[in-house]
Amino acid sequence: MNKTRLALLLTLAPLLANAAVDPLTLVQPVSDYKIYVTEKVDQLVSDTEQFTNAVKKGDLARAKALYATTRVNYEAVEPIAELFSDLDAAIDSRVDDHEKGVEADDFTGFHRLEYALFDKNTTDGQGPIADKLIADVKDLQGRIATLTFPPEKVVGGAAALLEEVAATKVSGEEDRYSHTDLYDFQGNIDGAQKIFELFRTHLESQDKAFVAKVDKNFATVNTLLAKYKTKDGGFQSYDKVAERDRKAMVGPVNTLAEDLSTLRGKLGLN
Amino acid sequence: MTSHETGAAGKPPSPRVLRLAVAGSALLMVGAGLVFFYASHQAQARRAANAGHETLITIRDHACEPNDLSVPAGPNSFRIVNQSQRAVEWEILDGVLVIEERENIAPGLSQVINATLQPGRYAITCGLLSNPRGSLTVTPTAASEAAAKARPALTAFIGPLSEYRVYLASQSSALVRAGQALKDAIQAGDLQQAQAAYGAARVIYQRIAPASQRLAELDNRINARADYFEQREQDPAFAGLHRIEYSLFQQRTTEGLTPVADALLADLGELKTQLLAQSIAPQQFTEAVVRSLRNLAQIRSSGEEERYSHLDLQGFAANLEGVRKVIDLLRPLLARTGSQPLAAVDSAMTQFEQHLQALRGAEGYMPYDQVPQAQKQQIAADADALANAIAAIDQALGLADQ
Repeated sequence: MNKTRLALLLTLAPLLANAAVDPLTLVQPVSDYKIYVTEKVDQLVSDTEQFTNAVKKGDLARAKALYATTRVNYEAVEPIAELFSDLDAAIDSRVDDHEKGVEADDFTGFHRLEYALFDKNTTDGQGPIADKLIADVKDLQGRIATLTFPPEKVVGGAAALLEEVAATKVSGEEDRYSHTDLYDFQGNIDGAQKIFELFRTHLESQDKAFVAKVDKNFATVNTLLAKYKTKDGGFQSYDKVAERDRKAMVGPVNTLAEDLSTLRGKLGLN
Repeated sequence: MTSHETGAAGKPPSPRVLRLAVAGSALLMVGAGLVFFYASHQAQARRAANAGHETLITIRDHACEPNDLSVPAGPNSFRIVNQSQRAVEWEILDGVLVIEERENIAPGLSQVINATLQPGRYAITCGLLSNPRGSLTVTPTAASEAAAKARPALTAFIGPLSEYRVYLASQSSALVRAGQALKDAIQAGDLQQAQAAYGAARVIYQRIAPASQRLAELDNRINARADYFEQREQDPAFAGLHRIEYSLFQQRTTEGLTPVADALLADLGELKTQLLAQSIAPQQFTEAVVRSLRNLAQIRSSGEEERYSHLDLQGFAANLEGVRKVIDLLRPLLARTGSQPLAAVDSAMTQFEQHLQALRGAEGYMPYDQVPQAQKQQIAADADALANAIAAIDQALGLADQ
């Protein structure tokens, strides 16, 4: 037993209103989350290398095949990746984010390549975009390595990931040319679930019923998604998912997002 | 050495004492290295004067007297008198973690150790590693409770401490890989390769030494010097990195080292596990760094650590890297409390780094046995100055002993 920590906890307990959690016990899950993010970003870099190489070689079929599985690593670590707003815009902005639309000079990144590959069905002229994407992703890797993760961002990230799915992504706006949205959803949900798992012990010690409810809601959402899995381990095209079925995902994802939005308060990080 | 402490802490000296002191000073000038001893003992005397409760402990050959202690929580000083036959260490342990320690207390001499202690029961390592553990009971006081309440929001430390744990994870993984490379070279009987692998492993170890050295027993298995064993280099229990260093650099052979390298590799794996399992409180974070720098200033600057390989400078530079990591992590918190202490730390780090860089040539750092005495003293002074600057950060963050 760590006496120092125990002594601190005992003496500070009355001062930490609403916080039944010893803040120092959050060090382990927060650092484990950074290790998880680091691994995901390492994977993102190596996958993006292959993806951009395919684009530059003019291998359209391979580039298309790698698009969704490359991005999914970005989606999983979005709570941290999006802390760097310049890179998030360069890597993951949608055409709507740019005043001049697809022809905007600063429309770069995954969705700019997605537009060329899936809408224009070509790799022509995409070399500079591909070069910039891999450079930006490597920049992200370097910045994450030196970033001290803000604990409230880590914990708050679980809800943030799902809120965005329910609010906008479910419409199919994100991957409008490739219709690979379901890969992204899975990445977002996995990223949220990872955060929840890392703090499970803390949450269980104060509210077992809450943890059981969240577990059940994650299972519901994962089951919904699993319906669209293909034999090769991928997902079916989102334009084949009926409007009604798309809407059916909103409720469960929102419920989960609401549950997870209480994590910061429960962990004393408000 | 003890006379300095008495003089500094006592009344103004008489003219006769002054004359003696002048003569004494002349003698001091003869012995190289004593200037920094003087400085460090002045500092020790100051610390002793600041501390509250003092406890006298005598180290005998096979145990301490007394071996079971009880002190009030808060600032404490322990005067350790070494009546045994060799240089030994004395440590306060919380479980397997080092709370406070003094290494290499020379026979016949005494050292004062100051520790601010939280209520609880601790173990004591006393002299040789085979000696029985002592016990230390720390009883709570009103002041200790109040001091704990004065700390800044603990949530502010989650980020920096998490990041340090990530650093420990990546460095300890690298250390395991370095241990494997060392073992491979030894098994292949490639002396040159093994010597290079030893140096590489030491650098990684030194980056995380402050954290590793909190794990008393495990760290001893990895990093103990020959002096801590009854029969020194010939002792069958002498193992770890310095045992390997002894064979590779002194005896210039890889022979018989495979079992030592095997055990070391297992211990390095265990080190990674334990480093990731340990919880470091904010106060211990800086304390460990300060302790490690004091140790560098007072003991390791002599070259005792890498006595066979003379790779000390690489180790000091890696220590500084590890310190820089800690400071960079605390930087945002310090910026909030004012830049004065931070500027002092930055300038002390720069100074230390520049002096180390000056001892670097085209082929890397100079072997430490070729470093002139004046430069060794400078290194000790730099490490001590940096430790002082970081101790001031403790105060700025509300983590101070006082």
